[in-house]
Amino acid sequence: MTINNGDTLIKVEGLHKIFGALHALDGVSEEIRKGEVVVVVGPSGSGKSTFLRSLNLLEEPSEGRIYFEGVDITDKKVDINKHRQKMGMVFQHFNLFPHKTILENITLAPIKLRGMKKEEADKQAMELLERVGLSEKADAYPSQLSGGQKQRIAIVRSLAMEPDVMLFDEPTSALDPEMVGEVLELMKQLARDGMTMVVVTHEMGFAKEVGSRVIFMADGQIKEQGTPEEFFEHPKDPRLQEFLSKIL
Amino acid sequence: MGIKDMSFAERFTFNFIDRDRWIYIADGLKVTLQITFFALLIGIVLGFLLAIVRSTYDKTGKLKLLNLIAQIYITVIRGTPVVVQLLIIYFVIFESINVSKVLAAVMAFGMNSAAYVAEIVRSGIMSIDNGQFEAGRSLGFNYFQTMIYIILPQAFKNILPALGNEFIVLLKETSVSGYIAIQDLTKGGDIIRSRTYDAMFPLLTVAVIYLAMVMIFSKLVNMLERRLRNSDH
Repeated sequence: MTINNGDTLIKVEGLHKIFGALHALDGVSEEIRKGEVVVVVGPSGSGKSTFLRSLNLLEEPSEGRIYFEGVDITDKKVDINKHRQKMGMVFQHFNLFPHKTILENITLAPIKLRGMKKEEADKQAMELLERVGLSEKADAYPSQLSGGQKQRIAIVRSLAMEPDVMLFDEPTSALDPEMVGEVLELMKQLARDGMTMVVVTHEMGFAKEVGSRVIFMADGQIKEQGTPEEFFEHPKDPRLQEFLSKIL
Repeated sequence: MGIKDMSFAERFTFNFIDRDRWIYIADGLKVTLQITFFALLIGIVLGFLLAIVRSTYDKTGKLKLLNLIAQIYITVIRGTPVVVQLLIIYFVIFESINVSKVLAAVMAFGMNSAAYVAEIVRSGIMSIDNGQFEAGRSLGFNYFQTMIYIILPQAFKNILPALGNEFIVLLKETSVSGYIAIQDLTKGGDIIRSRTYDAMFPLLTVAVIYLAMVMIFSKLVNMLERRLRNSDH
């Protein structure tokens, strides 16, 4: 089912995650190639968020291996913090730092982790803010922003580390409907610029429009995947057919 | 002439001016401030360390042994009176080593305060949404960088009133330093009482000085609180 023949960026092998009695991930193997926009959908409790959060080890797998740019990051000897710098993550609830200004939110990691000078980091942050049309908010605090603005800043904060992949965990689920568009628009722009993205979302429109591949998860397993056309027009798995009939 | 027959001014002169008795108060105040200041430093540093150990264990399950030690420490310190701790530190632990009484008091009150500070800070850390942790970690910060840059500044603001309260308690608790014959503020007043046989004047003076210090300190904490709130809407 290869759509894009680019180099493998992330490779997942036999991933299991067990929370007490819950088998959240039940043997997931998958590859994410450079430049792909992989959209992960599925009913709640299907394990899609756990899968995404495992990719940068925010969830430690109970079993299985994850390779990022050829390195087994599940190996205890690997410094995961180094690799996380190259994996941006955007959360459902934004998780901006409320005690810091927008500019400080963006420049904190580049200054502290990449040793950037403050002026240099500020300049880069301002350019990014310019790009998303929020430069006038540089000195504001997160609480002064709307949900959509917060999420765009959260995306910018990740981009400031110049990641090789961006992971999105239901980035529009906590937004008021009228703010979903501006966030999706920014994500589309990123996709067009060639960013590798893994997106857990309920936005089927986004999946159809910019997804290079759509994955359906249920019961902690990948049940079906394919290009958006195959996926939405000719679903084979009965669970997926049921899922699509409910949401479309 | 008995005390009861003296005028207010005469009693004041008798208690504080005659034989320079005010020096007991002034020297005592100096000692009280000294003990409080250094005990406060120990309390903050040790308290934050204990809190980080405890909350790291709570969040990640790591530092199991250190957490156990911290837990025992906090239980023992909070479960015994500070006077008893002071006596044990001076007469038992420092029995064979000749240390100054003030140092013993600083250790005792500092170690005591640390246990309370630890629980305050821990509750502050645990009150910060876990999403803040995840955001920090996902950017590539390690656990302790996330603590220092992201979690603790937010926690500190939330716990400032409780910390301020703890330091007021600490200041007042040092008044039992007299148990190991330290001449602190309380003891200073008490010495005057024993010389002049006038209990009311020196003891009320001591009480008013404590009250004034507590009020000044509360004011400073309030100002800091307001400043922190302003920088963060």
